[in-house]
Amino acid sequence: MSKLKIGMISFAHMHAASYLQALLSRADVEVLGIADENEERVRPFTEPNGIAYYSDYNELLKQPIDAVVICSENVRHAELTKHAAQAKKHVLCEKPLGLSEKEMLGMIEVCRAEGVQLMTAYPCRYIPAVRSAKEAVDRGDIGEIIAMKGTNRGTMPSGWFIDRGQSGGGAVLDHTVHVLDIMHYITGSEVEEVYAHSETLFHDVDIDDAGLLHVKFRNGIFAVHDPSWSRPSSFPTWGDVTLEIIGTKGVIHVDSFAQKNDVYSNNATKAEWSYWGDDMDQGLIDGFVDALLQGQPVPITGEDGFLSARVAFAAYESAKMGKTVELKSVN
Amino acid sequence: MKLSIIGAGTMGSVYANNVAKMPGVQPAGVCDLDESRARMAADVCGTNAYTSVDDMLAAEQPDVVCVCLPTYLHKEYVLKLAAQGIHVICEKPIALNAEDAKEMQEACERSGVRLFIGHVVRFFPNYVDALKRAHSGHIGKAGMMHLKRYGSYPQGFDGWYADMGKSGGVVMDLMIHDIDFACAAMGKPESVFAKISRAEGMDYAQVTLKFSEGRMASLTAFWGYPGPFTTQFEIVGTQGVVRFDSNAIQSLDIKVKASEAEAGEAVQVPSSPANHDPYYYEVKHFIECIQSGEQAIVTADDARLAVAVALAAEQSNKLGQPVEVSI
Repeated sequence: MSKLKIGMISFAHMHAASYLQALLSRADVEVLGIADENEERVRPFTEPNGIAYYSDYNELLKQPIDAVVICSENVRHAELTKHAAQAKKHVLCEKPLGLSEKEMLGMIEVCRAEGVQLMTAYPCRYIPAVRSAKEAVDRGDIGEIIAMKGTNRGTMPSGWFIDRGQSGGGAVLDHTVHVLDIMHYITGSEVEEVYAHSETLFHDVDIDDAGLLHVKFRNGIFAVHDPSWSRPSSFPTWGDVTLEIIGTKGVIHVDSFAQKNDVYSNNATKAEWSYWGDDMDQGLIDGFVDALLQGQPVPITGEDGFLSARVAFAAYESAKMGKTVELKSVN
Repeated sequence: MKLSIIGAGTMGSVYANNVAKMPGVQPAGVCDLDESRARMAADVCGTNAYTSVDDMLAAEQPDVVCVCLPTYLHKEYVLKLAAQGIHVICEKPIALNAEDAKEMQEACERSGVRLFIGHVVRFFPNYVDALKRAHSGHIGKAGMMHLKRYGSYPQGFDGWYADMGKSGGVVMDLMIHDIDFACAAMGKPESVFAKISRAEGMDYAQVTLKFSEGRMASLTAFWGYPGPFTTQFEIVGTQGVVRFDSNAIQSLDIKVKASEAEAGEAVQVPSSPANHDPYYYEVKHFIECIQSGEQAIVTADDARLAVAVALAAEQSNKLGQPVEVSI
């Protein structure tokens, strides 16, 4: 059996740890190296697993690897993707794909030109309830979709996430893209209009930690979404991903992490929800690896990454202008 | 205190049930165009049934009248009662537009009678608790709210709910509870953005209210929901969240085996029993306000603001842009 050889670039976004676990769980994958300018950060992952460390990602790209997983600060996604593509490596890039429409279209173009595949890390597509909801919609169980309401409310992150120069945006960017991608996935349509508020309401930070977005899809469906970092530190879990779908014949409610045990321990300072549902990150990695091994198109593309991230950028523009913003069709 | 009820539909019957149990209140007639409905509600609270409001007012000489009529009739009857010097408890929404509401308020002021609007959510113990938590600082400074209210499509007399000109639709009639509650928590909204979808047997709305200092609320309301009547809310502050889901408070759950049930089908009735329903506390509070002269915890001004916000939502939906609340 030929193994897929993978390199990982940057553990700035700690989803990398989970993606590494998912990669290591597969017999048909070999992780040949981890590149990160901060050796301390990745030592807990390189040493126990016998994975080579690279301080310079360009050295990693010279190795005989098929693909890279990029979990850097958002601001570096474009540069890293470009160099990986030019080294003929397929790319799985953490969300948000890039920090502007132009930047993301450039990433898509360089991968196309170099003949490599670009996948955006939207693991929420692998939440079983999300997949089942899409199947129910596709079967016509709730008739035609009229409207949706989503939430991706989280606890406050720290470090580079709240440094606009590194992240490109706060809660509205960080927590819009997942649910908007699910909405694109389920409706099969794309957003054409955005109205949004973006505010700093809950924390003493210089970046948005709260927002509300109204979007309209080209097929007439409308939706509202809450991307706020509004879960207090006392909340029993990190946050949520919910989606309500209103159809002409019924309603679907998805509460992605409802599969949990309630935990009350004197060793913790708060009640906790212990999630025991299926691992969406494994689903994401399996989707990437299987596609590359079988020579198939990756299941979630750079275009998918573009379509939902551009909604967040339009949301910031709308919030600034106080009115709706139109998105031009890319097709 | 002698209390009459005009309108013996769903709400009138609820009022009849509650005033029957209320100390210090003497039920003084129930009136409805449909005599059997008037009779049924009158029997519940041990009073007389009428089919003519004028006959009832002349015979019973009430101190206060509960107006439980379809919204489009509120103004006519409130003006009539005010002219006769009778205090009024009127169902929500106060009227179909802020101008009518203002006219009703002014008529009551001129006649020296009180006008109360039944925004009953202010008397639901779960909402009362949440507002208390939000205002006490327990969750820090409140910055964001979610409010949801879903139910089946209301039938009502002659299908009046389906007539926008009579009910105002799902925002004016149902979401108005949450609009009022959001305003109680956060003040007067600066702008409103709304998307509404209407079809036969269905009326669904998404509304965002923007308050001062960037605070905001996301409201959804639905007539035509296939599930059980559902309300949910959350208030997020700088130090915490308070939230509620009506489907998660069933303190009593009765299940009957199929073989034992009359219809031959298993019966499951989850419920959340309480000593009194919120309408009891609402009417009791209004009566006490009449006696004490105190301001009510929800005023006619609050009710008029909620109407203005609901109309702004309709206008935003029409224009496709945010709309300022003018009042």
